[in-house]
Amino acid sequence: MQLIKNLYNYRELLKSNIKKEIRGKYKGSFLGILWSFVNPLLMVAVYAIVFPYIMRVQTDNYLLYLITGIIPWNFFTMVINQGMITVRMNAGIIKKVYFPREILPISVASSGLVNFFISCLIILLFCLFSGAGLSWYLVFVPFLALIQYFLTLGIVFALSAINIYIKDTEYLVQFFLNLLFYATPILYQATLFPEKIRWLLYLNPMSQMVDAYRAVFIYHQLPEFSGLLYLIGITIIIFFVGLFIFRKLEKGFAEEV
Amino acid sequence: MDKKKNYAIKIDHVTKKFKVYYDKANTLKERLVFWKNKKNIEERTVLENINLEIKKGETVALVGVNGSGKSTLLKLMTKIIYPTKGKVEAVGKLTSLLELGAGFHDDFTGRENIYFNASIFGLTKEEIDKKIEDIIAFSELEKFIDNPIRTYSSGMYMRLAFSVAINVNAEILLIDEILAVGDQHFQDKCFQKLKELKDSDKTIVIVSHSLSALRKICTRAIWIHEGHIRMDGDINEVIDNYLKTCE
Repeated sequence: MQLIKNLYNYRELLKSNIKKEIRGKYKGSFLGILWSFVNPLLMVAVYAIVFPYIMRVQTDNYLLYLITGIIPWNFFTMVINQGMITVRMNAGIIKKVYFPREILPISVASSGLVNFFISCLIILLFCLFSGAGLSWYLVFVPFLALIQYFLTLGIVFALSAINIYIKDTEYLVQFFLNLLFYATPILYQATLFPEKIRWLLYLNPMSQMVDAYRAVFIYHQLPEFSGLLYLIGITIIIFFVGLFIFRKLEKGFAEEV
Repeated sequence: MDKKKNYAIKIDHVTKKFKVYYDKANTLKERLVFWKNKKNIEERTVLENINLEIKKGETVALVGVNGSGKSTLLKLMTKIIYPTKGKVEAVGKLTSLLELGAGFHDDFTGRENIYFNASIFGLTKEEIDKKIEDIIAFSELEKFIDNPIRTYSSGMYMRLAFSVAINVNAEILLIDEILAVGDQHFQDKCFQKLKELKDSDKTIVIVSHSLSALRKICTRAIWIHEGHIRMDGDINEVIDNYLKTCE
């Protein structure tokens, strides 16, 4: 509660910080903010060539399948990669003034969310041109995005704080993100796994997340209910554990960074 | 209720220790390998068992030799760092002028930086809109305000930063060694502004070595020596005593 009040008082800082995150990342490059959209498209292009032709993966409408996986995944990794270092990057102002430190991870996650919503236009374009079409189930997209927002925010809270004390976090997380990418049905279909061990794949909240997005974007149906419930439960746990860790560690930020 | 809150800052049995690393083990490997080796960490007690109450509307000077813990005390008040033991409480909106120009970005214009800097102090856009003319006028940078601040001279930079900080309308103002901003004209102006703030019932805590200036503004002084309060009382009395030991 105190946190919400604090954030409200500092809303101007939050706002300008989010803007800075969105604009700052590609500052100085020719395409600027367009890179946020070109990047996933290039990734999609690579996979769309590699997998059907070289690995001989057969999936209906593979391009759309890919893009509905990669854009949410991109949202996830972008927020984690930038969020993890945000406290360290802002060492200058942390040492100089007091402000609610939570603003830093929140701005990164929020800028990611804004980016994601804009990227959704790309998904919609693909939906239209690949023949999948649009449906009213799309109203669930903001809801799903919000779940993902809190999930990643929780992770970033924890990681950005731990990273101040143990610098290895950055490198370990890089590895885990790579691992998780292949442990999420982004490039392949979950049915590739035998039934017996498939549940293992779905312990990964991002698998549930990607499946839910696909349900509304491609298949025009409600996300699977039990999966969604699991996702929400895990998000709540991760969010509060992350926040708890952040608050425990934030008192030492000014001395440790 | 009223009786309880007639202080602006209360420091209750505060001890602050810093860990001094000779070689900071920052990576996991080093932590694991050297976890038994405590030799390269030394704890240094900067402040020990400080009890202090600063009343609303008081103007207090902190004096003491270098490294006595004045700035640490100020940082504790702003909640940039937290005490090892004890509690620090502040009632009211607090602004610190510990280091000027927090969050300034060289590529943005003076005007944009005012917004950015003031938002760090917790102001909303509407509040800044109302004050921006005052801030610009105080800094006397009207001609340059829409230029990027990388084109500013260092004096202009400090003037802008000081103008923002002093105009955010805080109830408690913490100032660390920045009375020497800009040229003589601007210094006089800052001094005048501080007096004004003092008369308008703001609580001000100043760390400075320019004792003559402190004598003019402050009513109370606290002399900190090696992490303890050595003397606390009337400004002239404390400074006189402090000067005696310095000779």
